[in-house]
Amino acid sequence: MTSDTPFQREYADHLLHEMLGGRMTRRQLLVRASVVGLSATLLGQVLAACGSSSPSSSTSPSTAPKAGGTLKVTMPSPTVTVDPTTMYDTGSIAIAQQVAEYLIWVNNDLSLRPVLAKSWSPNADATVWTFNLQQGVKFQDGKPFSADDVVFTMNILLNPKTVSAALASFQGILSQGGVQKVDANTVAFHLDQPFADFPYFVASTNYDCLILPTTYKAGTWQSNPVGTGPFKMTKFTPKQGATFVKNPTYWQTGKPYLDGVTVQFIDETQAEALALQSGSSDVMLTTPVQGAQALFTDTNLKVLTTPSTQSRFLHMRVDTAPFTNKAVRQALAYTIDRPAVVANLFNGKAQIGNDNVFCPLYPLAPKTIPQRAQDIAKAKQLLASAGYSSGITMNLTVEEFEEVPQYATLLQAMAKQAGINLKLNQVTVTYYYGSGKNQPWLQVPMGITDWTFRGVPSQYFLPAFTSNGVWNSSHFKNAAFDAAAKGYDTTLDEAKRRQYAATAAGILTDETPSIISYWINVNRAMKKNVNGLTSDPAEFLDLTTTYLS
Amino acid sequence: MGRLIARRLLLLIPTLLLLSVVVFLMLEVVPGDPGRVKLGPYASAAQVAQVDHQLGVDRPLPVRYVKWLGGFVVLHWGTSWNQGVPVFSLTMHRLWASVQLALVALVIIIPLAVVLGVTAALRRDGVADRVITVTSLSLTVVPEFVSGVVLTVLFVVFLKIFHYPAVPPAGADPLTRIYYLLLPAIPLMFVEMGYIARMARAGMIEALSMPYIRTATLNGLPRRRVVFGHALRNAMAPTVAVIGTQIGWLVGGLVIVEELFVYPGIGKLIADSAKFKDLPTLEATVLVVAVIYMISNLSADVIVALLNPRVRYGR
Repeated sequence: MTSDTPFQREYADHLLHEMLGGRMTRRQLLVRASVVGLSATLLGQVLAACGSSSPSSSTSPSTAPKAGGTLKVTMPSPTVTVDPTTMYDTGSIAIAQQVAEYLIWVNNDLSLRPVLAKSWSPNADATVWTFNLQQGVKFQDGKPFSADDVVFTMNILLNPKTVSAALASFQGILSQGGVQKVDANTVAFHLDQPFADFPYFVASTNYDCLILPTTYKAGTWQSNPVGTGPFKMTKFTPKQGATFVKNPTYWQTGKPYLDGVTVQFIDETQAEALALQSGSSDVMLTTPVQGAQALFTDTNLKVLTTPSTQSRFLHMRVDTAPFTNKAVRQALAYTIDRPAVVANLFNGKAQIGNDNVFCPLYPLAPKTIPQRAQDIAKAKQLLASAGYSSGITMNLTVEEFEEVPQYATLLQAMAKQAGINLKLNQVTVTYYYGSGKNQPWLQVPMGITDWTFRGVPSQYFLPAFTSNGVWNSSHFKNAAFDAAAKGYDTTLDEAKRRQYAATAAGILTDETPSIISYWINVNRAMKKNVNGLTSDPAEFLDLTTTYLS
Repeated sequence: MGRLIARRLLLLIPTLLLLSVVVFLMLEVVPGDPGRVKLGPYASAAQVAQVDHQLGVDRPLPVRYVKWLGGFVVLHWGTSWNQGVPVFSLTMHRLWASVQLALVALVIIIPLAVVLGVTAALRRDGVADRVITVTSLSLTVVPEFVSGVVLTVLFVVFLKIFHYPAVPPAGADPLTRIYYLLLPAIPLMFVEMGYIARMARAGMIEALSMPYIRTATLNGLPRRRVVFGHALRNAMAPTVAVIGTQIGWLVGGLVIVEELFVYPGIGKLIADSAKFKDLPTLEATVLVVAVIYMISNLSADVIVALLNPRVRYGR
């Protein structure tokens, strides 16, 4: 039974205060309450006090779940051997997530759902987060799950020798020795700095955090897949496919509904689409608009879509001419007809961006910043004020990735109207990211970079826009922004956070170190008889409640 | 003849050595490194360097080459850097899959193309000739990606005749395997049709214009005997040579078809190894396909020599 700490009760009061003052929306409340780990009872009390009804526990399915059947899924092939602590590509992640689980799962609206962690709470200044674990959970080999496994897994991820991507996420927030077992069912995380959104970092959005048993030997997962998850992997053929069967000792009784899952690896979008149309697969893990247009109008299939924070940042190096002048950067931003770009590249399945990292999906995305729209006259005026009244030439490096080349071509046409001559330099993804001392994307004056889903805006603005950010391709250094960014992460006061968000977003939109014109939806095409499966903003595959009708 | 074969086989060794050096050098020059592939774009440069060190990528080039070569010649082909499986079994498995597809395509296309080419030559400048020539040329230039998709949509989605993806289930009997391979074989046939049929036609026309054909006809030999007994044999020499060069492509070069039909062949394995900087697999697959190329060329030359004694004894 989850009981709230005194601090959580105090915090609930704070949220109620914000709600009653009209400064917080119901959705923001629900997400925030889940992040801070308020119990359902307490949340219900807050909602009742605002005159709002309790959220329904889950959307009721249209038909009763039917047990049985094998689901056929296609996905891109894992690029390397599947290793839950170092994986980064869609295929590996989807495979590992069937067998192992996280402490927390992030829902499509960015609220948090307890999985292996039953409940959690922060201390007053958000430097210590305590997690109460589910009891009665067993790993698939029979070993009981306990706090030791959580500590063990976190220490692997925090160890530099493991070379996990999670280490980059934890930088400055959590370090080795910070994860401590309190008792068999409780773990405490002692942070290096206050962090208001910490639970996201041990949730599915930090995708390497799948909980592994203390008996796990590094690098052996693909041949000996371990975890507490709903499916056991019985076969794995590199570059071809994998087979899963239902885990009979899964801790959520009655689930999963499926008897098994057959995965086939298909790298080419067109081929995946054909497999779905020909009936040899039931679900296409992720369905980009480019290459699979036929599926969106196919009456035998359904395509689920969900807003995501996937995006492309068009960065301009603020320390290199001609981008040293903010007017030039803004001018380019004003040439873009954002709704047209969204309609053209994604058939409308994307949201418009406003040149800052606060995607509309984030609960604290400020609504006060005017949306930038196309304004050619203003663009010309800005260029003239910077001394480029007779036009200007810019060199844009474009990576050959999904729709990025088409985006660049559209930009070229739009920018021309204001006298900006965009020269495109198209390179492969491998070249663009490079390696070691040679990483073109961090060095070119102007480039378009793809960013995958991030659960919290700090996972964008810290590496990309703070003065010491490791992926700061625009070389943006702004002390006011750094301060607002730090404030946003380190305080639990919702009113202050909202202010910091508005300040940080305002600075980014005004300074425009990067143009962000869209946030791409993630689509998932499937046969009509597949139920209990949604699309996922991070392209993750959660089949726990999926069933075939 | 025997000396010809022996000399050509001996030439295999220095060619393969040179090729292996070229592959090593190419991977060195092309951007990207295995550590980055393994860890992804979000790992730090230090972490990537660590993995590179574990794989031995930071040692000097000649040292790496010699070490690799030493293992390769005794069939210790190592483990794939990406897939974590032994390179030898992976390569052979995929090679066998490609060979099966190539065989299905060849068994159908060779007789068909030869018949069409010879027919076109015999009815030269007539309607049949025009139709065959233009159709075969048009089909050759259609990219496999386009023809493959159109065929799949037509046969699989609408007519529901074939199965997609074209991967036969494990343990299927030979007839089922052939059935599964028919669909991906069709785009290959389109491409080959142009080469082989036109070569057969050209060879036949040239053979028919030879003086000895006129002599045979004037001597009273029936037309059928003249064409099939004398002209055909001499017409086939250039066709066989062309087929020999195409076999290498049919086994190792089918990246697009394999990708589209999700067929686990060796062409896609080569492409993926190059893309993901998997050196052991890339070296093994390239050299294996090179051997296939050279042996098929050699076989073609042997057959030509058998068909044409003048080549055999060196005119």
